[in-house]
Amino acid sequence: MKLMPSCREVREHLTEYAEGALPWRERLAMRFHLLVCGACNAFFRGLQRLPGMARLILAQPDAPPPDEAVKALEAVLRRLGGGPRD
Amino acid sequence: MPSQSGPGSPPTLTPPSQEALIALAARGDSDAFGLLVAPHLGLFSNGIRRILGNAADTQDTLQNALLSMYQDLPAFQARSRFSSWAYRICINAALMFRRAKGRFREEAMDDCPGLGRFDERGHHLERGADWAVPPEALAEAERGQLRACLLKALEGLPEAQRVVFILRDLEDWTTEEIAERLEQTPAAVRQRLHRARVQIQSSLKEHVQGRPR
Repeated sequence: MKLMPSCREVREHLTEYAEGALPWRERLAMRFHLLVCGACNAFFRGLQRLPGMARLILAQPDAPPPDEAVKALEAVLRRLGGGPRD
Repeated sequence: MPSQSGPGSPPTLTPPSQEALIALAARGDSDAFGLLVAPHLGLFSNGIRRILGNAADTQDTLQNALLSMYQDLPAFQARSRFSSWAYRICINAALMFRRAKGRFREEAMDDCPGLGRFDERGHHLERGADWAVPPEALAEAERGQLRACLLKALEGLPEAQRVVFILRDLEDWTTEEIAERLEQTPAAVRQRLHRARVQIQSSLKEHVQGRPR
């Protein structure tokens, strides 16, 4: 990575940057770019918030179990048959 | 178990506690096992399905996971929550199923349109997507649309990227845990995770950026 990386280079390495996996020189270059480039900064913020948002979006605590789950449990209970544990 | 709620009133049925169901199921009571796992079936099957991507494989894998839970229940330590312990068994069963099908197909890593558009010097031509409207602020119908959009985006990812995204961002595994489990280097895990995040964020762009005021 160059000392002054382009937006493309910065966006390609944001997860490595967030996980502290880049060498210090590249980390510094990325940090500086994110300070001065609002577009890449917004892109980075979006990526950072994505995991929490995805968990929130997918959470359906009161949803009924899908058919395949009910069928799987029924099959297991038939197989166990109420007998004593081996 | 019947209990008296007062003179003259009919006896009411108190459902057995989770601890009681665990103890009964650990001794071989399959009815108790059914009552124990039934409230968590949606959680278990959703976790498996996100990794495997289809209902038929999910049903087979959940069946195997439930049998593993039943067999391992005598060794269950009450230090952890039952649902967390059981969910981990489900995720492991899904990963074992996927592994039995063979290694991940290698995906092309050189193109990632979700990064945005750039000029010839690599300078951005459009602003990045930030979450202007948090999902908790959306009406249920809009959240439903967002959920459908996210699930479609997940299904559209190459399998290797989807599994890494699920384990890292939905299941909260560390990069090192994923690398060890999937027999990849941490650098490869990060690269796949990044591609997955970028593509998903791009797919959710119109929801993410909100509506014009």
